Amino acid sequence: MAFDVKPYVLPSPWTIASYMGENASRLWDQMWFTLRLALKGMGLGVAIGILAALLFHLIPGVRAALSPIIIITQNIPTIALGPLLIVWFGFGLMPKLILLVLVCFFPVAWSMLAGLGQAAPHLREYLSMIGASRWEILRRLELPASLPSFFTGLKLTATYGVTAAIVAEWLGSSEGIGHYIVLKSKGYDTVGVFSAIVCIVALALAFYGAAALLERLVIRWRPSASGGKGGRSE
Amino acid sequence: MSETSSAKLELTGVSKSYSRDRKRHPVLDRLSLRVGEGEFVTLIGPSGSGKSTLFRLIGGVELPDEGSIRIDGKETTGERGHISYMPQQASLFPWLSVAANISSALTTAGIRADEAKRLASEWLGRIGLGDVAREYPHVLSGGMQQRVSFLRALLMPRAVMCLDEPFAALDALTRAEMQAWLLRLWEEERRSVLFVTHSIEEALTLSDRIYVLSRAPARILKEIRVPFSRPRREDVWKEPEFVGLKQEVLELLGEGAGASRG
Repeated sequence: MAFDVKPYVLPSPWTIASYMGENASRLWDQMWFTLRLALKGMGLGVAIGILAALLFHLIPGVRAALSPIIIITQNIPTIALGPLLIVWFGFGLMPKLILLVLVCFFPVAWSMLAGLGQAAPHLREYLSMIGASRWEILRRLELPASLPSFFTGLKLTATYGVTAAIVAEWLGSSEGIGHYIVLKSKGYDTVGVFSAIVCIVALALAFYGAAALLERLVIRWRPSASGGKGGRSE
Repeated sequence: MSETSSAKLELTGVSKSYSRDRKRHPVLDRLSLRVGEGEFVTLIGPSGSGKSTLFRLIGGVELPDEGSIRIDGKETTGERGHISYMPQQASLFPWLSVAANISSALTTAGIRADEAKRLASEWLGRIGLGDVAREYPHVLSGGMQQRVSFLRALLMPRAVMCLDEPFAALDALTRAEMQAWLLRLWEEERRSVLFVTHSIEEALTLSDRIYVLSRAPARILKEIRVPFSRPRREDVWKEPEFVGLKQEVLELLGEGAGASRG
């Protein structure tokens, strides 16, 4: 009341909540569409990220040859790249997936690559001394040692991926939260836009939470020095 | 050929040098040594005498400039996978349980997975670590980690065990305990061991034979046959002969250390 903020500038949380209640099924459909797109893109992006990390790690020449090109792809803004991809690949799933993969594979590939190279030297030396093969060194040392870095990358991807999916839908889609935002903002429906923002935040938090949960389930060997969580009880 | 067949490990005229700043730095100078079947042989020398380099050559991780390495009667110069190894740091994999650390090393040495698991849990029980078999290594103390590391080396079906200063990082009390423990276990199993240490007492307590190395480039100054009988008492250091031998090694190391003693 004190600042005399108009409801069309900043609607109250209650207005947003009741709007979301009224439009629950529509919002849910849009969110579900975005969720599926984000999952597909992230899944593909993470898979390509892991493959790229392994390829770059195992064949050093490939890394030197390709990393400039990859860095360039990361520097082209998605809002510039998106329309181009639509010109080249039409309005289907393809341009959206490409955009998502470009955004999602990079944090995973680069974090995991760093992790693969940082395996403890004394463990590497031990495996060489007992005659372990290159494949055994990868499987028994480098891959497990890279997992903490991999999950750091995955958590970044989980956050960026949702935003990228929204941008992809914004640029060319007839469904999804990204499309919904375009519709509502063009109609100056501030409440609708805020409802969409709530949905996006919920999605991003859910993806991040899932990645963090997966990390805790997979990496169980670390000493519980911080916080005393995960202590054993007999 | 048949005379040397009982030698599990035999080095003949092994030399190695590294080049740094365009200068050659010789590390090993025509070193010859052998470890017989079931024999505990120790290398002792001043720090920087190339003992770790020697192990890397025996492990096949590096190639000697000249000379040959034979394991179990076969020429193995530059070949990996013929030794088991216990490094200075326990080098257990933090993401594997204690038992899996042992069994995965055994599978590298060609043992079937189920047999490797059985061996690991049976032996962990036998050395009193059955309770921690399923724990991650970080819950173990330094001494316990080294026991697991030794067991891992012991169980690998390889001709020679190479132990590289395995107790150097332990405190004096734990170290004495570990020596007694290793002595007992080794005397039951009688594997062929090449052991590296800085401690003269440790060498005299554990070994059948000792090679005293000079400072780099390492040569063998003397080969000492340790006269104490097996099974060896832990308080063998009380023997007058022990003191005499210790004095002898100390003097050799002093001479090898440089020209200061004209």
